[in-house]
Amino acid sequence: MNSSKTGSNKTAVDTAVSAGVFRRDVLRVALAGSAMAAMGLRAPAVLAQTKQFSGTTLRIAAFQHIFHTYIQKLLPEFEEQTGMKVEFDLQAFPVYNQRMDLELSTHGSSYDVCNITHSFSGRWISAGWMTPFNDFLSDPNKTAADFNPDDFVSGTQVAYYNDKKELHGFAWEAGAMMMAASRFDILDKQGIAMPTTLAELTEVCKATHNKSGVSAFVVDRLHHWNFPPYLMGFGGKVFRDPPKDLMPVLDSPEAIEAATYYANLLSNYCPPGVLSYTDDQAMRNQLAGRANLRINAMSWLLPLAKSDDSKVKDTVRFALMPAGPKGSFPACNANAYGIPAGSKQKDAAWAFIQWATSKKTFEKTALEMGGLATPRRSIIEDPRYKQALTINGQDIAAMYLDVLERSGRDGYMAYRTVPVWPQAGEKINKAIERIASGQADAATSMKSAQAEAIEDIKKAGVKL
Amino acid sequence: MATSKLAAAARRNEFIANTIVVVLAIITLLPFLWFVVMSFKPADDIFAGIDGFFFKPTLENYTSLWSDRFASSMMNSFITSSVSTILALLIGTPGAYALSRATMKQERTMSLLILASRMAPPVAFAIPYFLVYRYMGLLDTRLGLIIVYLTFNLALVVWLMRNFFDGTPRALEEAAWIDGASLWKTFMVIVLPMSGPALVTTAILCFLYSWNDFFFALTLTRNNAMTAPVEVVNFMNYEGWEWGKIAAGGTLIMVPVLAFSLLMRKYLVAGMTAGAVKG
Repeated sequence: MNSSKTGSNKTAVDTAVSAGVFRRDVLRVALAGSAMAAMGLRAPAVLAQTKQFSGTTLRIAAFQHIFHTYIQKLLPEFEEQTGMKVEFDLQAFPVYNQRMDLELSTHGSSYDVCNITHSFSGRWISAGWMTPFNDFLSDPNKTAADFNPDDFVSGTQVAYYNDKKELHGFAWEAGAMMMAASRFDILDKQGIAMPTTLAELTEVCKATHNKSGVSAFVVDRLHHWNFPPYLMGFGGKVFRDPPKDLMPVLDSPEAIEAATYYANLLSNYCPPGVLSYTDDQAMRNQLAGRANLRINAMSWLLPLAKSDDSKVKDTVRFALMPAGPKGSFPACNANAYGIPAGSKQKDAAWAFIQWATSKKTFEKTALEMGGLATPRRSIIEDPRYKQALTINGQDIAAMYLDVLERSGRDGYMAYRTVPVWPQAGEKINKAIERIASGQADAATSMKSAQAEAIEDIKKAGVKL
Repeated sequence: MATSKLAAAARRNEFIANTIVVVLAIITLLPFLWFVVMSFKPADDIFAGIDGFFFKPTLENYTSLWSDRFASSMMNSFITSSVSTILALLIGTPGAYALSRATMKQERTMSLLILASRMAPPVAFAIPYFLVYRYMGLLDTRLGLIIVYLTFNLALVVWLMRNFFDGTPRALEEAAWIDGASLWKTFMVIVLPMSGPALVTTAILCFLYSWNDFFFALTLTRNNAMTAPVEVVNFMNYEGWEWGKIAAGGTLIMVPVLAFSLLMRKYLVAGMTAGAVKG
């Protein structure tokens, strides 16, 4: 909780520069901003000219998400302003990723704007399938003076830079991992506070499991998302030094210790059948008050306090991801709008992205419509946002900002955006299932995962 | 005494056989039953375990489907499956008859060539189709899907119907020729009416292939020509899976094929065994 204040007064520039992640870009943007300021803060030509894109039809592809529903509601004002017509092609998450991967890999021009899925960002960007934004950002005729890229919290943007530090996307949604107890009253009765370390988490689970018929813990089967924070908490890593060195290190002593710990949670403190749980199943268990603690991104935990289906609105409490012996590494992800390299209407596409990720638009989507997983600092720090995310007296907005900043500052999410992440992630899923189901001990299972991951990564053409 | 022992043993064997059939049927049908039951459950009861065993059935999952784009995807499935099946039968049946009756040196090679489209996994064809369709503007069109399904179904029609024609006696055709009927008239008036069961079986298999296809529909469509199996996957959203709708959509996808198969089961059984015994 205290760490939520760490760096909260820093700007994204400070954070990013201190991390040395994208210094040149930040300076370039800052220079461009200064130049625009010197020009009298004039609106860029591209947006100042009304209906400049008359007759243009912009095609946008993304996965189905409430944010796009909000954007579609707001579209008439954008279409009126620019004269362009916008068509959305929204598909389910797995369908979208499969189709867009094929579309981009064949250099298609069917779409002018697309969502860059966080876990695909390394693959799509490093292959040159997306358009860099640097030329747009440095051109005052194309970028509004008040767009302010520094306002995006650093953790939401790091995945969208290539190795030349060129930016390829602006986040429209951000995820920050935290912990929620749906039945904090059970802990409270025993005088137990929310756990702050993994050791405490085990103790809390021991003390509360199956009390009042409630499982102490629940998790979904996406272990490649859930497990790495534990792995890093014990000092382990997925890859040796991503993105430079992609040798997996899944069989390190730290990784085996982390896998033992995590599988123990699954085997001993979760509801029966947890190994097949989807995130929706895990959430419904919490909503109904049948399972207590869960660690996941904020968007998946907020329904406990906000959904009409929730039976635990009064008893839900939040906390940061508990720290392991080597620290706390809550996962963070963000999905961004980008421009496919094959697009033939890049100026129009950039105009849309600027509008859709502008502060004004986020004010509407986050503060008025309720899309709280927002990437802009100015919105997260807005008193109205803080009010919306004060739940049972807890300041969830501060936790959210803390996680987004921490991952940007420390860069520990780099494992998730390398092109061969899906191969390693799949092996993690299988390894954890083998351990938790008792098919293999942690050492054997993680060694198998290591060998299988190396084989698959080599098949993908990566030299290890 | 010996007779009654034999009868008792026969009854016991029949009982054991029937029990095995019933158990196997339950094991096979249980997932479907679970799926259908889930489609009538309120969202809260879907994962309620034992607590969700007794629930108040609701049609909410079905009614909410029709407010989405599921209806148009069902229509796309129906049109692409029906048209491709009809076209495959129209083109493939005469082709199968010709292959059965013709005496050619390369007949075996030609038959194998026709089967080539079924020899590779669909993924091997997906990217070539995708690129050609994008060039020709056939992506996300019903016509595009019909062409793909037709290509794959033709091989099925030719091979199934050819086997059937091989097993039918030629005497009737020869009699028709003696009476002055042309080859085409013989085919239409004598051969086709005898082929009812085989045609129904082949049609059902073709329709099933097209109706259940996921991969090509996933790769070659977007929103306009999306078929029902892909639309069901669209309920697996980033923000959570809509299990009730997935179950309701899956149940609705099963209904037409199940109904058609039940209506035609007499022909289906006859068609399955047709050509099994030559002469």
